[in-house]
Amino acid sequence: MKGIRNIFVYTLLAGLFIAGRAQAQDQQGTEQYNDYFKVTARPDTTSIRIGEPVKISITTRVVIRSLKGANIKVVFPNLPDSINHIEVVERTPLDTTGSTEDEKYWKQVLTVTSFDSGRWELPPMKFEVFSVSDGSYDSVFTDPIFIDVNTVPVDTTKAFKPIKPLRTVAWNILDYWPYLLALLLVITAVTLYFAYWRKKPKAKPAPLKPLKTPFEVAMEQLHQLENEKPWNTDVKLYYTQLTDVLRHYFEQQFHIAALEQTTAELLQNIKPVTVLNQQREKIQHILTLADLAKFAKLQPAPHEHEDCLQKAIAVVEWTKRAVTAQTEQLPEGTNQ
Amino acid sequence: MENTSYDIRQLNDKIHQASSFVDLLNMEINKVIVGQKYMVERLMIGLLAQGHVLLEGVPGLAKTLSIKSLSSAINARFSRIQFTPDLLPADVVGTMIYNQQRNEFMVRKGPIFANFILADEINRAPAKVQSALLEAMQEKQVTIGDTTFKLEEPFLVLATQNPIEQEGTYTLPEAQVDRFMLKVVIGYPTKEEERHIIRQNLQPDGQTKINPVVNPQDILDARKLVRQVYMDEKIEQYIIDVVFATRNPEDYKLAKLKPLIAYGGSPRASINLALASKAYAFMKRRGYVIPEDVRSVCFDVMRHRVGLTYEAEAENVTSENILSEILNAVEVP
Repeated sequence: MKGIRNIFVYTLLAGLFIAGRAQAQDQQGTEQYNDYFKVTARPDTTSIRIGEPVKISITTRVVIRSLKGANIKVVFPNLPDSINHIEVVERTPLDTTGSTEDEKYWKQVLTVTSFDSGRWELPPMKFEVFSVSDGSYDSVFTDPIFIDVNTVPVDTTKAFKPIKPLRTVAWNILDYWPYLLALLLVITAVTLYFAYWRKKPKAKPAPLKPLKTPFEVAMEQLHQLENEKPWNTDVKLYYTQLTDVLRHYFEQQFHIAALEQTTAELLQNIKPVTVLNQQREKIQHILTLADLAKFAKLQPAPHEHEDCLQKAIAVVEWTKRAVTAQTEQLPEGTNQ
Repeated sequence: MENTSYDIRQLNDKIHQASSFVDLLNMEINKVIVGQKYMVERLMIGLLAQGHVLLEGVPGLAKTLSIKSLSSAINARFSRIQFTPDLLPADVVGTMIYNQQRNEFMVRKGPIFANFILADEINRAPAKVQSALLEAMQEKQVTIGDTTFKLEEPFLVLATQNPIEQEGTYTLPEAQVDRFMLKVVIGYPTKEEERHIIRQNLQPDGQTKINPVVNPQDILDARKLVRQVYMDEKIEQYIIDVVFATRNPEDYKLAKLKPLIAYGGSPRASINLALASKAYAFMKRRGYVIPEDVRSVCFDVMRHRVGLTYEAEAENVTSENILSEILNAVEVP
C-alpha cells in the first residue's frame, strides 16, 4: 500500500514537472513571437494644467532576424487632429536612427494637449506590419493613455484683479554686446589714429620756386616783341600779343583774373594792388589803344607801337621790386 | 595818333553825331522818371535794336510811365493792354464788325496798332492771346479777316510780368520768351531816388509834361546805323564763346555747371546779343563794339534763354549766377 502511494506521489510530481515544463515552453514561445514587432506609447506626463503640452513618445521595433530577412513595411496610426477632447499639436517626422542590422526602429514624438478639464483617454493606436516578401500581415495596439487635465483653481469669492503690467526684464549688459563691440572698435580706431598716424606729420610739399618767374617770362616776351617788331606786319596781332603778355603777367603775379576781364574791369581791379595802381595811366593808355586797334580797326602811328611796348616794359620793370620781395621768400626748387 | 582806318573813323563820327538824340531822349524821360536809368537804357536798346523787352518787377516801379514817357518823347502812338484771363485774341489784334448802315463788315483795329505797346501782366492771359501778340511781334503784321495789315514802325512791345504772384497765371513758354530780345529785372529805387519820386509826385502843379524831342523817323534812321556799327571778329568769337558756354560748359572748364543747365542759348541768343551790343555801343556814341558792350547787355539778353534744371532750382541757383560764372571763365579778347 505504501509503495502504491509512493508511486502515485512520484507520478503526480513527475506529471506536475512535465506539465510545468510544457507550459513554460509554451509561454516562452508566445513572448518571442510578440517581441518581433513591439510598439510603445509613453507620455512624459499624464497630469497637466489646461492647455499644457504632453509629449508622447511612440516607438516601433521590428526584429528582422525573426522574419528571416523578410522585407517588411510598418504603417503608423493616422491620428486625427482632435480626438476625444485631446488636440494633436505637433507630429515630429519619423526617426530611424536607432535601426540596426537585426532590427528596424522608428520613433515619433506627438505633442498633444487639451483645453477641456477632466480625465481623457487617448485610445489604443493600431500599428500594422506587412511583409512585402510573402504578404503576411500583423497588427499591434498600444495601451490606452489617460491624461488628467486640471483647471487653475479660482477663488470666486474675491474681486477681479487688474491685468498685470508688463514686467521689465532686468538690464543685462550682455544684451547690448554688438553695440558695445562696435563702440570698442571705434574707440580703438580713434585711439590708434591719434596715437599713431596723427603723430606722423604729413610732409608738406615745399612751395617750389618756378624755374622762371612771371616777371622773367613777361620781360622775355616783351623783349621778343621788341626784337621781332610784329607791328610791321600785323598791327592787330601785335596789340593782341602785347595785351596778352600784360594780362598773363597780372594774372600769374598778382592773381588778378585779367584774362577774363575787360579793360574797364581790369583798371578797376588793379586799384588795390599799389604797384600796379601807381602805373595806372600807362596801363590804361596801352589797353585803350590796344582795344581800338583790336576792335575798331585803328592803325596807330608807328611811334605809338614802340611807345606802347616801352610803357609795358616800364610797368613790368616797376613791379620788379615787389616781385623780388615775394620770390625771395620761396625756397629753391623746380618749376611751379 | 595817325588813324589810317578812315571808314571806321567816318562811321564813328557819323554815329557820334546821330546818337546825340539819345542824350536828348534820356534828359526828357528823366524829367518824370526817377531812378530807373537802367530800365530806360534797356528800353532804348530794344528800340534801337528792334527787339522787344520783357520786364519783370513788382507793381509800382514806373514801368507804364517809362514806356508812356518814351512814346511821348518820340511823338509816337502808345497803347496799353491789360492782360486778363478772359482776354481774347481779337481784343488785342482787332476784329471785323458789322456796319448796319453800310451793310458790310468793317475792320476794327485792336490796340496792337500803335508804336509802343505795353502788354501789362502778359502771363495773366491764356496761351492763345499770348500767341497772338507774340506772332504780331515776330511778323510785324496782323491779319484780320482776309486783310493783312503791316504794323507801323517803330514797333516796340514792352511786356511785364509780376514775379511775386504765380496763382492764376499762364507762364510764358520758353519758345515764346525767347522772342523777347531782353528780359529786364527791375529793382526798387534807392532812398534818395524815392525821396525825389515823392517830391515830384506831390508837386502842386501836377506831373511834368514830356515834350516830343525825336521823330519816329530819327529812330528808324538810327536803327540802320546801329546795324552798321563795326563788330570785330574777335568780339563775334567772344559772343559765340559765351553762348556756347551756356550749351557746353564743360568745354570752358565749367563742368560743375553742366548739371544745372537744362538748355543753353539758341542761335537767336547769339544774334540778339550781337545786335544789343551794337545798340549799346551806339548809345555810348561809338562806331565799334568792345567787350564791355557785350558784357553790359549779356545778362538781359541771356537770362531768359538759359534753362535751369530741377537741381539748380532746388539749390536756388539762378540763371544770373550761371551767367556770372560763364563771364568770369570765358576769356575776353
